[in-house]
Amino acid sequence: MGRSRSPLLRVFLSVPVGYLLAFVGFPVVYNLVASVQKVTVGNIADLVRPFVGLDNYVQVLADPAFRKVLVNSLVFVSVNVVAQVGIGLAVALFFAQRFAGAHWMRGALLAGWMLPALVVGALWKWIFATQYGLANYALQSLSLAIAPVHWLSDPAVSLISVIVANVWFGMPFSMILIAAGLTGIPQELYEAAALDGAGAVSRFRFITLPALGPTLLAVACLVTIYTMRAFDLIFAMTEGGPLDSSNVLPVMSYQFSFQRFQFGPGAAVGTFAFVIVFAVALLYVRTLGREAST
Amino acid sequence: MVASGFKTAAEIFANPPSLVPRNPTLDSFIYVIGRENIARYLRNSLTIALPVTAITLVLGSAGAYALSRIRSRMVDVALVTVLLLQVFPEALLATPMFIIFRSLGLLNTFAAVILATTSRTLAFALVILRPMFKQVPIELEEASMVDGCSQLQTFVRIVLPLMRVGLVVVGAISFVQAYGEFVYPLTLLSAQELQPATVGIYGFVGAEYADWHRVMAFATIFVLPILVLFIALQNKIVAGLTAGALK
Repeated sequence: MGRSRSPLLRVFLSVPVGYLLAFVGFPVVYNLVASVQKVTVGNIADLVRPFVGLDNYVQVLADPAFRKVLVNSLVFVSVNVVAQVGIGLAVALFFAQRFAGAHWMRGALLAGWMLPALVVGALWKWIFATQYGLANYALQSLSLAIAPVHWLSDPAVSLISVIVANVWFGMPFSMILIAAGLTGIPQELYEAAALDGAGAVSRFRFITLPALGPTLLAVACLVTIYTMRAFDLIFAMTEGGPLDSSNVLPVMSYQFSFQRFQFGPGAAVGTFAFVIVFAVALLYVRTLGREAST
Repeated sequence: MVASGFKTAAEIFANPPSLVPRNPTLDSFIYVIGRENIARYLRNSLTIALPVTAITLVLGSAGAYALSRIRSRMVDVALVTVLLLQVFPEALLATPMFIIFRSLGLLNTFAAVILATTSRTLAFALVILRPMFKQVPIELEEASMVDGCSQLQTFVRIVLPLMRVGLVVVGAISFVQAYGEFVYPLTLLSAQELQPATVGIYGFVGAEYADWHRVMAFATIFVLPILVLFIALQNKIVAGLTAGALK
């Protein structure tokens, strides 16, 4: 078609793509370049800087704090993926029952997801406050805890606290996507299976799960991508502390660059996060492509 | 959270805590409005979020239209690029953003935060809007061009009005994203009088001890526009998100 080569469409396409390349593509490349350079406050505006090979990576890898944060990130992301997909699936099945008020309850859940991450972080910081927080009050009134738990200031607990908050925050989105996948399963399959004598459990096991497979994979990829991005929530709740116990890669990279002015190591930490996110994003794009072609 | 804004200090720190305030009071709201410059914070948030929404809609609809009409390998490459570009954590892009805007002389301006934030909302808008534009029948456009409209006129007068719903949804989500943006204002604006409400709230809760009823009053006022938008558009937002993430 001649029309598809029209100059107008080309302009329409190139302006937004150019914008994204300038404001996302360039920063990504800049970050990769900076991770193999010696970057100081003095030369930060230049692109040509002393090349130091993998020194920044060596320095970062030798740092016990970094290894802790890398493990934290992996735990944070994987628990979030499992919990958000698992709970999201359960809640989606629950709402698929179509009972009175389902619409409103679902709306209320999703409204939480629309809130800015920073506000959600502030809210959970309050819930988890040691002295006057809701969490400790609930536990103590149910006699599940004798002494108040230091949710955010105990290094053994802080990671769990930010995970709980993030699962609460992200789960509604997973639920909505899974619910969309559920509605795509033909009802006749269930009826046929029921006629053949399949119970609720085996209907779920042999119809729902296989049919939802691609959706669940796509959702798991998206949750990974969104969770790797978590900054606001953790920053508001703990700033990664105490002693990096709830720290994750993006927060650590920020701290290197903006609080300690060690831009090279900050960029190197960023590269680790980039690689993880990029790999998952490729998997996601492939999943979508396969879904579209089937 | 909303409930807590109506509580008194004594009740917030009471044991047992109450879900519904016993003596609802507007004190916290009055305090917050009077003392913490919330009007300025909110004005700054809006000054950032509204232009982001506008730019996102203009560039997003143009780009998504082109992506839906051009058929070539180039488009596939552009689409995957857009998909991949939206996954990078913004906290990791903050340093390069800082450098870019420093060399442009835009540090401590709203323009910097607006441009940086748009890079997030734009990719998202392209992904969500493209399938919607695909549904506009090409025959409509051909008819309009036969009638003597240029392609630009066709786009503005015929295609865009058909896309009203999609544009409202994308506009609403972009607004919510920009309104709640934290990392870019935190790193690009050091002047306090320019900072939006997210940074203001962060300053509030950063301390180990916080006046929670006042924080919650502030947060309640802050999220009010989001909740209104959401309640008005709930079903459409759900449909838009699902389409964008899974197609």
